[in-house]
Amino acid sequence: MKFKAFLTDNGISLLEKRFLPALDKMGKICHLYLTRDHAFFLHNLLNGDGIQSIAQFRKEALFDDYRISSQNEDRIAFAVDLSLLHRALRSVVTIYAEFGADGGAAAVPPSNRLQIKLVKKLPPHSQQAMPFLTFETKGYKSAVIQDVPISKPLSRTDVLELQAALDSAQDLPQTLVQVPDMNQLQTFVDRMKHVGDPISMSISKCGDLHLQISTTLITLGAEFRKLLVIGEKAQVPAEDRNLTAQSRSERAILRGDAMSVQVSVKHFSKSLQCHLAKPDCAFYGIAPQGACLTVIFQFFIPGTHQTDKSISLHCRLPVLDPGSG
Amino acid sequence: MSSEVDAESADLECELDNVQGMVDALSSVRWKRHQDAVIELSEHGIVLVVEESSCVQAKVYLQKELFVRYEYSAQARVRFGVSLGLFVDSLNTFSRPAHSSTIEIRYPGPDMQLLLRSVDSLDACIYAEIRTRIPETISWDYNFEPAGSTPLSFTVKSAALKEAIDDLEWPGSSIQVSLQPAPPVVTFRGEGHGDLQIDFMYYANTDLLTAFHCDREESHRYKYKFLRATTSNIPSSVIKENRGSKLTIGRGGMLKVQHLVSVAKQSNSHSHADSAGYLQPSRIAYIEFFVKPEVDDDNAND
Repeated sequence: MKFKAFLTDNGISLLEKRFLPALDKMGKICHLYLTRDHAFFLHNLLNGDGIQSIAQFRKEALFDDYRISSQNEDRIAFAVDLSLLHRALRSVVTIYAEFGADGGAAAVPPSNRLQIKLVKKLPPHSQQAMPFLTFETKGYKSAVIQDVPISKPLSRTDVLELQAALDSAQDLPQTLVQVPDMNQLQTFVDRMKHVGDPISMSISKCGDLHLQISTTLITLGAEFRKLLVIGEKAQVPAEDRNLTAQSRSERAILRGDAMSVQVSVKHFSKSLQCHLAKPDCAFYGIAPQGACLTVIFQFFIPGTHQTDKSISLHCRLPVLDPGSG
Repeated sequence: MSSEVDAESADLECELDNVQGMVDALSSVRWKRHQDAVIELSEHGIVLVVEESSCVQAKVYLQKELFVRYEYSAQARVRFGVSLGLFVDSLNTFSRPAHSSTIEIRYPGPDMQLLLRSVDSLDACIYAEIRTRIPETISWDYNFEPAGSTPLSFTVKSAALKEAIDDLEWPGSSIQVSLQPAPPVVTFRGEGHGDLQIDFMYYANTDLLTAFHCDREESHRYKYKFLRATTSNIPSSVIKENRGSKLTIGRGGMLKVQHLVSVAKQSNSHSHADSAGYLQPSRIAYIEFFVKPEVDDDNAND
């Protein structure tokens, strides 16, 4: 089992500045799953509860000189502590950037690269070799090696299970609506958290997103209308235009134009933390039969409005109640 | 549920363009996590009252001038009970940082709820329905009366008052507040695990103590936790705007503490210096606390 690659400058900035901070909010521990063409950061795919998050990178998005081999069709997966990984990467990057400090990135000599590899080492005061993910680079005056402890690589059956979970997490909701402003929604949900739990979400084919927390003492909600819809669409019936948010979404559910699910406020708020990865848009949708609430983040190729297909990030929030629809 | 309540049936329908100001004003009387409040509506505005153990009472006055629109159609005053925490938390969800947001407040809803709704945008709407209850019979009025012919009062910078009361936390549970005319000084003294005395000298620092009226020596003790309630949640806008708080000692030693909280529309420019409060002097919420003194063995000061 071997893995060795060099992180590209773009890969470093994607991980250090954007994805690791966002993924760390999803949960401390995640699976890093490497295949011949892709690297995945996966949260909660093997254990049932909790928010699932799937970050997928084509190998070229992060690495060059990517070499992987294993007896399991060149697939390797292990668990890693994201905050440790982030700290190690930050430390390595400060040394790595020493060359660039004077003259920008162009000044980095080709010999100076940031290598990442899997190693087995004998930790201090221990008789047994342990697996590590190692970052290695040298700067102008110094060189640095950071060993991030990782779990034992997953067994063949566990990897198969992980791959199966990944495959089944790819199905898209029939209707997706684009979230207008993630920061605003985040502030709103953070304040809503004080009022109660869970939160019910309904999404309609007309482009309405309706959130509501309801307890015996209070009902607090927000409705966003006329959002961009991807997938199945419908027109708002004229007589529904001037109703309250609650009646409008109830009627849309009855017509079959909307679905509603309940999720934990904590999970919902976590899903919004993904904006730390600086996606260009975010879409919410409800999976068929109300199986889960799906959030899909879209990344553009810098300077364009074209989707960058080498990066993808989506979350699946477990549903607390089968819901309607 | 048909939620299109016709406007005529509501006792109160009003609109406010500075939610944050209202959150600030109401938060300033929130000294515990769970507090029941009584709200009184009238043609003059909204008054919210909270009370604890018949020892401390706080009132927030939101006069109708603070609202962009205020339509009151009931004949008599209307009173209802509500959880202060839920009311403040839900109001807070309407407030957006660096944006002024306008909300509509209505009472009663179809099930006697207090209804809040954002009215800024057609395509995004936040709403809340807060359950109300029949108010408990609280002693509505603490009957604050001036003691003697001249009132005993002083005005101190709110920030300094808060700091002094925060500092008095360690000595103990009972704080003595004394006023004396010559030399003019206000003293806060805590005794318990140790002694701590804080003097506000009128002549030494006129910036701190901006007004002082006292013609005789007087001194009363107050429970620390109640004194603390009067400044524990002073909004940051009060400190930023360098406002003062007025303290008056009334008959029987009852202490009245008054704060002013700005509910002016947030200006788009980010200058605090010409805080809109000066431009719109009427847009101030008045906060009043009444703290009863600790009962001494003898009723000397009656």
